[in-house]
Amino acid sequence: MSLVPSELSSKLSIAVSAADFAPAPHQAQRERIVRPSLSYWQDVWQRLCKNRRALSSLYIVIALLVFTLVGPWLWTQAPALQDLDAISQGPSWSSSSALVVEDPGTWPGVQGALRPREEADGQTLGATASLAVAGLPSTQYVRLYWEAVNGAQHYLIYRNDHAPESNQDLGLPLGATLTPDTLSFEDRLQLRPQTYWYSVIASDGFEEAALSTTAAITLQRAITASQARERGLDDTLGAAVALPAHPFGTDYLGRDLLARVMEGARVSLFIGIVAPLLFVSLGIIYGGIAGYFGGNLDILMMRVVDFVIALPFLLFMILFRIGFGIGPGESGIIPMLLALVLLSWPDTARLIRGQILQIRGEAYVQAARVLGAHPLYLIFRHLVPNTLGPILVTLTFAIPMAIFTEAFLSFIGMGVSPPTSSWGSLSNEGIRTMLSSPHELLFPAFFISLTVLAFNLLGDGLRDALDSRLRSRE
Amino acid sequence: MNSTQYVLEVDNLAVEFDTYGGVVQAVRDVSFKLRKGKTLAIVGESGCGKSVTVQSLMGLIPMPPGRITRGSARLGGDELLHIAPAALNAIRGKRIGMIFQDPMSALNPTMSIGAQIAETLVVHRGMTASAARTEVLELLHLTQIPEPEQRLNQYPFECSGGMLQRAMIAMSIACKPEVLIADEPTTALDVTIQAQILLLLKQLQQSHGLSIILITHDLGVVAHMAHDVAVMYAGQVVESAPVDDLFYRPAHPYTLGLRAALPGNDPQKQRLQIIPGSPPDLFAPPPACAFADRCPHTMRLCRSAAPATYTRPPPPASQASTNSAHEARCWLHHPQAPSSPVRSSAAT
Amino acid sequence: MLIEATHLQKFFTLNGGRRVHAVDDVSLGIAEHEVVGLVGESGSGKTTFGKTLIGLYDKSGGEVRYRGEVLPARYTAADFRQQASEIQIIFQDPYGSLNPRMTIFEIIAEGLRLRDHCSLASTRDKVVYWLERVGLSADHLSRYPHEFSGGQRQRVGIARALIVEPKLLVCDEPISALDVSVQAQVVQLLGELQESMGLSLLFIAHDLSMVRHVSDRMAVMYLGSLIELGPTEAVYFRPLHPYTQLLIASKPEPDPAHERQRQDPLIKGEIPSPIDLKPRCRFAGRCPKAEPRCFVERPVLREVQPARLVACHLL
Repeated sequence: MSLVPSELSSKLSIAVSAADFAPAPHQAQRERIVRPSLSYWQDVWQRLCKNRRALSSLYIVIALLVFTLVGPWLWTQAPALQDLDAISQGPSWSSSSALVVEDPGTWPGVQGALRPREEADGQTLGATASLAVAGLPSTQYVRLYWEAVNGAQHYLIYRNDHAPESNQDLGLPLGATLTPDTLSFEDRLQLRPQTYWYSVIASDGFEEAALSTTAAITLQRAITASQARERGLDDTLGAAVALPAHPFGTDYLGRDLLARVMEGARVSLFIGIVAPLLFVSLGIIYGGIAGYFGGNLDILMMRVVDFVIALPFLLFMILFRIGFGIGPGESGIIPMLLALVLLSWPDTARLIRGQILQIRGEAYVQAARVLGAHPLYLIFRHLVPNTLGPILVTLTFAIPMAIFTEAFLSFIGMGVSPPTSSWGSLSNEGIRTMLSSPHELLFPAFFISLTVLAFNLLGDGLRDALDSRLRSRE
Repeated sequence: MNSTQYVLEVDNLAVEFDTYGGVVQAVRDVSFKLRKGKTLAIVGESGCGKSVTVQSLMGLIPMPPGRITRGSARLGGDELLHIAPAALNAIRGKRIGMIFQDPMSALNPTMSIGAQIAETLVVHRGMTASAARTEVLELLHLTQIPEPEQRLNQYPFECSGGMLQRAMIAMSIACKPEVLIADEPTTALDVTIQAQILLLLKQLQQSHGLSIILITHDLGVVAHMAHDVAVMYAGQVVESAPVDDLFYRPAHPYTLGLRAALPGNDPQKQRLQIIPGSPPDLFAPPPACAFADRCPHTMRLCRSAAPATYTRPPPPASQASTNSAHEARCWLHHPQAPSSPVRSSAAT
Repeated sequence: MLIEATHLQKFFTLNGGRRVHAVDDVSLGIAEHEVVGLVGESGSGKTTFGKTLIGLYDKSGGEVRYRGEVLPARYTAADFRQQASEIQIIFQDPYGSLNPRMTIFEIIAEGLRLRDHCSLASTRDKVVYWLERVGLSADHLSRYPHEFSGGQRQRVGIARALIVEPKLLVCDEPISALDVSVQAQVVQLLGELQESMGLSLLFIAHDLSMVRHVSDRMAVMYLGSLIELGPTEAVYFRPLHPYTQLLIASKPEPDPAHERQRQDPLIKGEIPSPIDLKPRCRFAGRCPKAEPRCFVERPVLREVQPARLVACHLL
């Protein structure tokens, strides 16, 4: 029977020779696989890398770990070092220099002769003739002295941050001299490197003079010699030393917030990683036993899970603290860890039990049983490797949960308390100065949010990567 | 032949999927025509692209990773590919119905069966809820579901596979579509239930004038149901023919091989003829004939050039005017090719 | 008989104490070098029978003897270990039957590693030998199951089961999930291996025509009961039980002319739920020939013709 090529093919027909119709050499019939070989985890990794959100979250998590573990080696400021000269400073990258001055309290002051009031002239008290500074006015101290005023029983010293317009506008009353012959005053009250207007006004014991003397004095940043020695700086008097910058600012005690956040990250991430590791492991063992053995044991164990889930976390947290003898305002990392571990494992146990029940029925497990596999072999060779994916996802989601719980507990004062810092307790401290210096709250809060977000997005990406691996069976 | 007798025409369809490491060419240049009121069976092994072909007609290809790179599909003159989702929604479910291999996963487990069928009616035909309910009952009677009044309020998990497939059919014909696509409708069912479902489809075709595209891998089902057959292999249609021609005068070595691989019904037990090897991975389809590596008649040409499509003249006895053309994509039909079983006129 | 089940029962208990009669009083033996085909629809209990036979499910009643010795009713790991080089199984789902985290080498070598501590080199040689024997190559050793097609995975499953050289292989629907051309490959491979190794096979399937091709005897199950048993050709061409007749007649043939003359299916309804069954013929509700007696009395499997056993009151 003859065959006619269709219209289409006759147009397309190519030049062929008789040789083309010779039988082709037989090629070995081999089952071939042309796609590149990928193991399960390689494939998951490929998929994760395609997910930009998850990948950037992974980078953030790595950066956070570096920040916590390597950071303190690079940023050597002691987190507990108080600098009362630098309280609640805003974030700044620029470092400042300071002069080394002698320690306060070494100035004997100026004593003057008592100048009794000249009874005859009936004049009111006058103003002092001069107001001067002894030594260098610095942020450590300002040493004022003045000339005696006739009839003055003592002197009152005021400080203002602008030029006073009247006697009613002298500013902050710093104090008064106790004796008429004391003609000097050392101001050490929260000095900043700026210009102050100091006023001295005489008093006869009943009323103040109507006139005051004001001097504008510009202060220089300084640290005392003993402070310089403490920090390992040059302690020769008059030397200019560089003080470190505070990129995150300082807190209400002048402690460096960057160092505090780094220190706090250790506590937060310690709780955030150790607690999930412990309770996920507990959940795996518990759920694994329940799922593998099944039957009545499974039913009983799952009722225990239901019971534990019903326990209120905060109540147990408080009970553990009391049990450990930790009073209010004291740090309690161990009871927090214990409460987290003892009350958070049931979710993992349920998940793993379900997984094990499912995998136990898979044909490859049955095949291994028929081949004579021991239960331990089944568990470690077949069941555990196939639940690793969901376990990893659970762990990734458990970490931000634990970090957030720690932060919350420390924030309400149930967890870590000062002087130990954690992100939660830093936030707790920061909220007091939220209106005047918001950075003290914002930095720890930002780190809590970033960490929780990064771990959650990573977990999401991981779950997708593992899921699609399961879906693509074609 | 008059083109108006075709309800659905697909030309040069090509679909690709992105995967790790490269592109999978799932469908490579597929064309077929569906005659009005007839059944076209698309036969092939898993991974040959038969499901992807119909999914792309229904706009069910996930994009990405999938993409339709070429081709057109016309339903009575209206283009189906590369159209706006709203336009597709007006066609999908209304002018083309579809039933799936696994009715359990195709139905919403949280809605009663009656409500799901009624939803189609309300959305596409703008019926009121009470009118829809009456219509649903009628449809359930039509698909011969036992005790339709009870089924109406039952949920999918309460029903057996055969019952659910009947409900799926009721849902797909609710809007009186012109074309019904059945993607392996009986693969998950037992033979006795399969026979019932196939009978139902045949009855509906006669009463409603349905045109059916039947995707299957079972040549027995093809012989039972089809008027025309397209055999797919490695993303291409390798042979298309009226059903008798395909079974009695196969024109492609793959069709021949498939027939021989099936155990026959002869009282004489014969050794199964197997097709060696497995289909090529469409991740890297062979440049020339995709079947060359498994074909018993491979020629040098088969490995160097993609085969042309040849049309086979109808046997003298048949009524040539009413039947579809018999085409095969194989070099063995080249006039210079040596004689082979696919060119002999003897029935196999 | 190499293995013989007598009055084997397997019930599953549901919540609320209801019983699923998955396998209800089935007696079936397999001789050495014999292939027995076990067919039935889904829900007939054929897979449960196969798995109960080899101990994957605990037996609810009856007993199984292997070479005359009674096998335990509940298996421990040690029982399986003892039995591993005698009885093996291959599974239906080529996707679920291979651990996705193990390489092909690890999967096939599992049986050897669990049995005795061979050296790695000799294990490797044996694995490569079996890989090639089932039509794969040594290049595939370090690949993972998901890279293989269904037919290739089924070959791996066969290699895993046969590397310990068992005497009896239970094939639990080994070809149901495969494509037509691959089905023939796997059936042919199993046939070759059965002949060369002198295996006994229990070949479970729902496709009668494939079973006919491999088996010496054919058993038909319906709703947990064995309803017909006999030589393959006889059962396939002259079925006696009404259900077997309908089952064979329901299968469409790849022959359009034959199909055009097919009569509408006689069998109505679907296989009922196997929960809390009453003592009556399991098929009575769907049987076109059922008599009142079929609804009150359960027929026993008896020999109605030489070598042919049927459970039906009408014969």
